[in-house]
Amino acid sequence: MLWLVVAVLAAALVALARRGRRTIAQLERRLEGSSRELEALQHAFSRFAPAEVVEDIIAQGVSTHAEKKEITVLFADLKGFTAMSERLDPAELLMILNEYFERMSRVITTHRGHVSKFIGDGILALFGALDANPWQTNDAVRAAFAMQASLAELNVRLAADQRPTLAMGIGIHRGVVVAGVIGSAELVEYGVIGSTVNVASRVQELTRIHGVDVLVTAAVRERLDPRVTVRALPAVAVKGLPEPVPTFTVAPDDGF
Amino acid sequence: MSGPWGECLVPAVVPSPEMAAEVRRAIGAVPGWLARVAPVPWLVRTFTELATKPYAYAAAELTDLVALVVSQDNSCRYCYGVQRALFKIFGYDDALVARLERDFHVAGLPDTERVALDFARKLSRANPRPGRRDYAELASTGLEGAVIAEVAFAVAASTILNRVATLVALPPETALESIPKVPLFRLIRPILAWRMRDARRSPLPLADDGRGFGARVVAALGDAPGATILRRTIDEALRSDVLPRRTKALLFAVIAKALGCVYCEREARALLLAEGLDEGTIDEVLANLGSPRLDRREAILVPFVRETVRYQHADIQRRTREVTAGMRHDEVVELVGVVSLANAVARLSVLLDAC
Repeated sequence: MLWLVVAVLAAALVALARRGRRTIAQLERRLEGSSRELEALQHAFSRFAPAEVVEDIIAQGVSTHAEKKEITVLFADLKGFTAMSERLDPAELLMILNEYFERMSRVITTHRGHVSKFIGDGILALFGALDANPWQTNDAVRAAFAMQASLAELNVRLAADQRPTLAMGIGIHRGVVVAGVIGSAELVEYGVIGSTVNVASRVQELTRIHGVDVLVTAAVRERLDPRVTVRALPAVAVKGLPEPVPTFTVAPDDGF
Repeated sequence: MSGPWGECLVPAVVPSPEMAAEVRRAIGAVPGWLARVAPVPWLVRTFTELATKPYAYAAAELTDLVALVVSQDNSCRYCYGVQRALFKIFGYDDALVARLERDFHVAGLPDTERVALDFARKLSRANPRPGRRDYAELASTGLEGAVIAEVAFAVAASTILNRVATLVALPPETALESIPKVPLFRLIRPILAWRMRDARRSPLPLADDGRGFGARVVAALGDAPGATILRRTIDEALRSDVLPRRTKALLFAVIAKALGCVYCEREARALLLAEGLDEGTIDEVLANLGSPRLDRREAILVPFVRETVRYQHADIQRRTREVTAGMRHDEVVELVGVVSLANAVARLSVLLDAC
């Protein structure tokens, strides 16, 4: 009888131990899965915010940590898109716009910039915001040339499909911004604020007045590779700035 | 690890019997990397010396952890595979290795090791390089300056090994990695661990007066054996005639600039001036990653090397293949050796800024 009790107890213990091991194995698998997901998320988030900001958020939650940084801001906008959007079927309009965003984003990333946001048909891209980048200005200008080239390719296809083609103006400015996690409890993003962003946007608007595709400010020109051909344009008064803004149109030279 | 590990960029060659014997004597085996790195003897010596755990102050467990965490962070298939196998051979608890792989923050490590690994990972990522605050936090755990210097050296060592292995896509050491899977492994593990695990080395004061490129960085390691290895590696890398000295100085300068290492940039500028490049041209190269005064190969390599500072392994392997097309194999090996060394020295220079 005693042996029977011992045997039953032993069997129960073995069963419990097996169940415990199974539970631990399951928990470990889930932990590993979660860990992989977290790593994937961390990797994905590093495209939107500096790695150290992502790490801080993971470790301590969203904070109001902000810092001043000198970055280069590229602002791109489609010319005449509002009028075009009124003529086109919404599905066709979105298809064209999405392909445009897709192409431009790829070019910006290739040139070490990151798309901060899409504003209507506009693109706000930052260079030197996520990683310290001593060559941020040249990268931004190279990106602008590559964006125009990519748009030309897209236009060939649009024309072949008998769709309207696109024209894009780009403004580039370099200056100090305040960078950090901005937003409300429900919606936050890593972003930059300061007059540098506004100036880039205003300079982009001047491409229409000057009839050029890419315009840069004096702050960009100062740091620009001499292999870029620069032509000064008359200073123009813009909204929100006390003085007229001198701008420069740029074109790539051999080797740039 | 995202993306496949590429085909090795350089063919296997048969190393000289003397070279193979020297490597075997030092590390007890002839590893697969030798056949790929053999065309550049200074890099063979560096790989060999770094594989022998040249640490006098930091515990082997700590430098092993640093190597594992940095290799994992750098997505280096080759080094991570080797480190993981060595961890098993050395008798580390399998569960600990699994926890480290997931996240060392929750691996149950003592505070000192956790903070040291945090510092190591920050130094490896260098985005930005750790500063005084990180150094002070590490010192506050009770680690002495000599140990911290060796932790930084362990990161520099992994920086070299990971980058060389990744840029040329060294094939995994399948023989070593399969040892822990052998059924008899658990029985022979204590003997293997005892045979392969080196004891802590004695301090080794620098033999010369410490002059040469990066002298202050080397000096910051004090009498740690790593100082002698670093001194020899830098000197031999610059003396080697596989690639022109000017080209190598340019690579050092660009990487120093990319990592914001003012000291290393100044040192590289001095090298370039000695090679006959004027200040204006150096300024132009560092401002624009190009100049009409660069030769054709330099004009390709100078903008490329900035990509070796932070990378995704599949992208950098593709780019390395593109830019080295048409180069001799010994040139390719020396190129990846020099850029890896430059990345290591510029990271190690935090010891100057932080102390």
